[in-house]
Amino acid sequence: MDKFLNIISQSVVAVRAFKLRTFFCMFSVALGISAITIIVAATEGAYKKAYDIVARFGPDSLLVTSGGEEARAVGRFDKTLTLGDVEAVKQNFDTAYVVVPMSAVRNINVSYRDKKYQTTIYGSTNDYSRVWTWPVIQGSDFTDEDVNGLRNVAIIGKYVVEQLFGNEDPVGKYILVKNIPVQVVGVLSERGTTPTGANLDDRIVIPITTLMRKLQNETTYISTFRIRFTDQERLEQRQEEMKQFLRARHNLRASDPDDFRIVSPKEIIKFLVALTSSLTIFLGVAGVISLFVAGFVLANLFLLSVKERSKEIGIRRAAGAKKRDILMQFLGEAVIITTIGGLIGFIMGYVSSNLLKLIAEFEIYFSWKAFAAGLLLSWAVGVGFGLQPARKAANMNPIDAIRK
Amino acid sequence: MSLCELTDIKKTYKIGEDNVEVLKGISLKIEKGEFVAIMGTSGSGKTTLMNLLGCLDVPTSGSYKLSGTEVSSLPDDELSRIRNEHIGFIFQSFHLLPYATVLENVLLPTLYLEHHQDGLKARALHLLELVGLQDRAKFKPSQLSGGQQQRVAIARALMNDPELLLADEPTGQLDSRTASEIIKTLSDMNSKGTTVVLITHDENIASNAKRIVKISDGLLV
Repeated sequence: MDKFLNIISQSVVAVRAFKLRTFFCMFSVALGISAITIIVAATEGAYKKAYDIVARFGPDSLLVTSGGEEARAVGRFDKTLTLGDVEAVKQNFDTAYVVVPMSAVRNINVSYRDKKYQTTIYGSTNDYSRVWTWPVIQGSDFTDEDVNGLRNVAIIGKYVVEQLFGNEDPVGKYILVKNIPVQVVGVLSERGTTPTGANLDDRIVIPITTLMRKLQNETTYISTFRIRFTDQERLEQRQEEMKQFLRARHNLRASDPDDFRIVSPKEIIKFLVALTSSLTIFLGVAGVISLFVAGFVLANLFLLSVKERSKEIGIRRAAGAKKRDILMQFLGEAVIITTIGGLIGFIMGYVSSNLLKLIAEFEIYFSWKAFAAGLLLSWAVGVGFGLQPARKAANMNPIDAIRK
Repeated sequence: MSLCELTDIKKTYKIGEDNVEVLKGISLKIEKGEFVAIMGTSGSGKTTLMNLLGCLDVPTSGSYKLSGTEVSSLPDDELSRIRNEHIGFIFQSFHLLPYATVLENVLLPTLYLEHHQDGLKARALHLLELVGLQDRAKFKPSQLSGGQQQRVAIARALMNDPELLLADEPTGQLDSRTASEIIKTLSDMNSKGTTVVLITHDENIASNAKRIVKISDGLLV
């Protein structure tokens, strides 16, 4: 142990003595590690965000939308789900504790006094707030009577409040939706934007019955419905049951594709992570390449250094250093340099990802994982690329080394 | 028992296709406490002989017993240990580590000791005092004169208290006055009991030793 410390102390001395070599190796390792740090933090950020969103979506929820994958692909949004489907699901799925149908109409003129703009109107039942875990912070949700009676009532998003009311309290006021007067009964809490840039707070929710009759001239079809289950752990099984149930109700033959789509929390995570993954892959490739470059810089500078320091190696061997002592010293030099380079890289990654956060919509989450990944990789570079030069130093013939 | 006992030592180097026999059968005994000069012209094989004596190399054939132990077929690690514990080297061009201080240079052989020892620093300082450089401990080699550097090298060679001190042309890069100082230092060490083997081509220098062994064309004459 004493001897090991002695040899490592020689590594430290050499790291300090050969400053230029140390600087270049450290710098190139730091660049690579900073890229890796950002990647790990960005990936973690993406997952964290995805899980946050799923937590809001509801980890116990499924969303069923009208129209199959193929119809979507060609841009058709056929309505295939009906209020009857919703009723049937309610009857047949014991563990479904809320089932809420939804439809939406885009680009509807809304106004309050002299203020007007266009927004999307969503139709839902009185469970809208509960099913989306989206609290009504002012006023109240609608009631069964509102839905059954096709009443002209609305709960509105924060953005709508800003657009139409400013600082005025909207609850109880009447707004015009496509020239139909609708009374605001509640305001939804603020939710921000989706990763795709949609403003979640820009929405007006009215009873689905009102929407279908008065805005869509529709009696049967809806665009989506949402279900929440009490047995969250069996969500995948429920999803499969839902699929078979709807296929049977829609009289699809075995060869027909689904005419609906079921979105589960899992798919949301996949989708959200995929959004950031292109950037992650780019950075990942860049990071790995720059680590390799760093490794080659290190290996070359060390080979050069071994050559220059052959006399030193000879002196040490004559004084009684074994081959492995020399190997340990040079490997120690490499690992010390890459470790410090890695730490600098981590700091650089931390700083630059914070800058990146300012410039772009980019989720970054730093945990011990980014730190550990950086440290382990810097060791890997140190050992991986330092080994060959160190071996060369160790295997030098002491007689030749000393005469050079 | 002799300190060094060489019997019919041969050493052949392969240079390209040719085998060059540098030592052609050398038998030599060096007793404990001797001061021997090995003299020869360049190419005579004296440096190869020193490398063998110092366990930096092994002979192609023949026997070399150091304190009674056959060392001619030992593995590399064992040779390293023997160099570390039993042999001190002094080279023509001093061979100090340029980035280490004088004291660190003197302590170099202690880095490779297998077992921890106490009082190493005190011993190093004492050795520096013996060679008259106690006030230069914190200097870098480049701040010292040639003679001073060689004295640091002598202190380093003595650090692990070796039985055998090997000096390869120790005065080759020094002026004659400094050279005689260095030789005097070596004589002092010898009179304190250290066996000294001096390798040189210079008759004047060799004449300081108590015994002169001449080598020519790979054979003792």
